[in-house]
Amino acid sequence: MARIAGVNIPTAKRVPIALTYITGIGPSIAKQICDATKIDQARRVNELTDAEVLAIREFIDANVTVEGDLRREVTMNIKRLMDLGCYRGLRHRRNLPVRGQRTHTNARTRKGPAKAIAGKKK
Amino acid sequence: MARSVWKGPFVDAYVLKKAEASRDSGRSEVIKIWSRRSTILPQFVGLTFGVYNGKKHVPVNVTEDMIGQKFGEYSPTRTYYGHAADKKAKRK
Repeated sequence: MARIAGVNIPTAKRVPIALTYITGIGPSIAKQICDATKIDQARRVNELTDAEVLAIREFIDANVTVEGDLRREVTMNIKRLMDLGCYRGLRHRRNLPVRGQRTHTNARTRKGPAKAIAGKKK
Repeated sequence: MARSVWKGPFVDAYVLKKAEASRDSGRSEVIKIWSRRSTILPQFVGLTFGVYNGKKHVPVNVTEDMIGQKFGEYSPTRTYYGHAADKKAKRK
């Protein structure tokens, strides 16, 4: 069992796939990590030696923001926009789409489940 | 797509002129501008602009975080007070 970057314990999968279980590491960064630590991408996590796991851990610590730190960064960015009083911040405050999408219909991801409007005639 | 860097930031010329004038004349006043499309430049920090939203000039105090964005972002053009039906539902 390999613990990398805090709580994540991906096991019987290939290394680049297993690494994507960490928040902040996608396929592309996972491959970069494999290249930098010279680990063959076909190998699986349970085949890694302790030294290789350590190398991965050190590479991530040094080069990538992951997990809690990343989440904090994202919420801080959103909070900054909200405090600034700019248009994007206003949209975040109201839980509406930020990037100019239509809200006449759709936008349910941001707005949540549809609420019935009282007194609306058919 | 983002604007080419070699062009530099876009600012209407009159905004620059007004900003400089108020800077030289000892500050305070709200600088009325209509140019919502102008980029906020570092030298505007600390000044107060009245950015037109189609109806009135909304006072915007420029801070460091705003640099690089447009004035229009700080002066909403739409007013929305919720739906009439929603209010009726609340009264009941």
